[in-house]
Amino acid sequence: MQPLRSRSIEVDDDGVQELFRQRGWTDGLPVVAPTPERVEAMLAWAGAAPDHVVGVETVKERALTAEKVAVNAVLAGCLPPDFPVVIAAVEAVCRPEFLVHGATASTGGCAVLLVVNGPVRQQLGMSSAHSVLAGPDRASVCIGRAVRLVLRNLLEVRPGELDRSTLGHPGKLSWCVAEDEEGGLPWLPLGTERGVPDGISSVTAFAASGPRQVMNEWTTDPAEVLTTVVAEIKATMLHYSIWAGNYAVMFPPQLRTVFHDAGWSKADVRQYVYDHAVVHRSDWERVGKRAVVSDRNRHVEYRALPAPEHLLVISGGGEAGGFAAVIPPWLGPKSAAVTAGVGVCFEC
Amino acid sequence: MSGERVGTPAVGIMTSAFVDGAELMATALGVRGYAFAVISHPISSASDAELETKARDALEQARHLLLIAPG
Amino acid sequence: MVTVLDPSFGEDADAFDLPDRPVSLVGATVGIISNGKANTRPFFAHLARLLREEWGVAEVVLRTKSNYSAPAERSLIDEAAHWAVMFAGVGD
Repeated sequence: MQPLRSRSIEVDDDGVQELFRQRGWTDGLPVVAPTPERVEAMLAWAGAAPDHVVGVETVKERALTAEKVAVNAVLAGCLPPDFPVVIAAVEAVCRPEFLVHGATASTGGCAVLLVVNGPVRQQLGMSSAHSVLAGPDRASVCIGRAVRLVLRNLLEVRPGELDRSTLGHPGKLSWCVAEDEEGGLPWLPLGTERGVPDGISSVTAFAASGPRQVMNEWTTDPAEVLTTVVAEIKATMLHYSIWAGNYAVMFPPQLRTVFHDAGWSKADVRQYVYDHAVVHRSDWERVGKRAVVSDRNRHVEYRALPAPEHLLVISGGGEAGGFAAVIPPWLGPKSAAVTAGVGVCFEC
Repeated sequence: MSGERVGTPAVGIMTSAFVDGAELMATALGVRGYAFAVISHPISSASDAELETKARDALEQARHLLLIAPG
Repeated sequence: MVTVLDPSFGEDADAFDLPDRPVSLVGATVGIISNGKANTRPFFAHLARLLREEWGVAEVVLRTKSNYSAPAERSLIDEAAHWAVMFAGVGD
């Protein structure tokens, strides 16, 4: 393997945590000491040369090397088998359409939501059941945290520095979920719908606001379940941001049964939401935003989705509970969800 | 700063709430100590009279950033 | 003792020298690249008027970025090369 080029620091065994805290290299949680051996093990597992450029952040003009990403993955607590997923996630956020600088610097305070598909989920022991949106297993938490530390340490995204989030949300610490592909059948996995070939694992990165939880356990009509979902989306459009973009919605087994029994596919779900998640400028008047409504614009119509395929439909959650999650975008079309293959470029 | 790189002197205008971030970006892009015209925050809800005052303030700061002092 | 690796990027962009400043803008063409955020239009309208009335600027060109969260498009930067000086903003 090529020699590593990161600066090395000698520190007392007892002084590792304090060193990283003082230098601002941690999110506040304890870190795993990124020794050269641990970093080399990460790179070796992924078959990545240290100077391989995982992605380029074009605003700060920074090429993120596999070595630097590996150092941060070790810090986050990742094990070598997690590393290919971390690489795919960093590749995805560095794509121009994700707009990583804007998304992570904005006052809007979004987080990077990672959705993992494919065989790697089982290989890493990722859970798609209870508490799926809140770090249900080691790999999910550590992979999400690795991306957060990459943003912090390689791209200066720290609160009050380049990160100008007014509020932020807890997903910023770590937000990685594995889709329940097996339990979601006959629905297709998100990765498959976004062009990933069978047998290939993928990561979809989405600049996301905090999740809103809705509940409807009183119907077997899929349209009624989606009416509840659409009501939450419309409220978000009025209360937060009216601009169209990607939205994500997650359904657990209890609600997926409603769709499966009625023969509704993910495409049917997307079409329904596209057709019904519509508000008008005048609606802003009843939520305290009269200042931006005029006779000239009150009749303007706004859709949540530019097109049905902008809705990311994800299977996940514990077996009991008629809860769905509505996850809005950071800010309309500014950032697009991006899917990257794990260990392979499926678009090349 | 993109303007500076094509040879055009430039002044970035930002509100006081964004100064830290701008200084970091300037350093990251190789222009340590790059100066900005800083106006009071916010502008999104400022009246027209307030906006004129802020524009005057920005220009007064820009005079020292953009022009060589005579003599 | 343990050896740990620095997780930070550690290398800023190559520094460059700022271009020379003019002595005066009388008769010059000045550009503004706006990020288009709320109230930037009236703000820059005042700026442009003051530049013409009080600085003797001959022409003020106002352009707006297509995405306020991203750098200005290449076409705007190329146009900026023909201006005497420029303003960009407003970070808010």
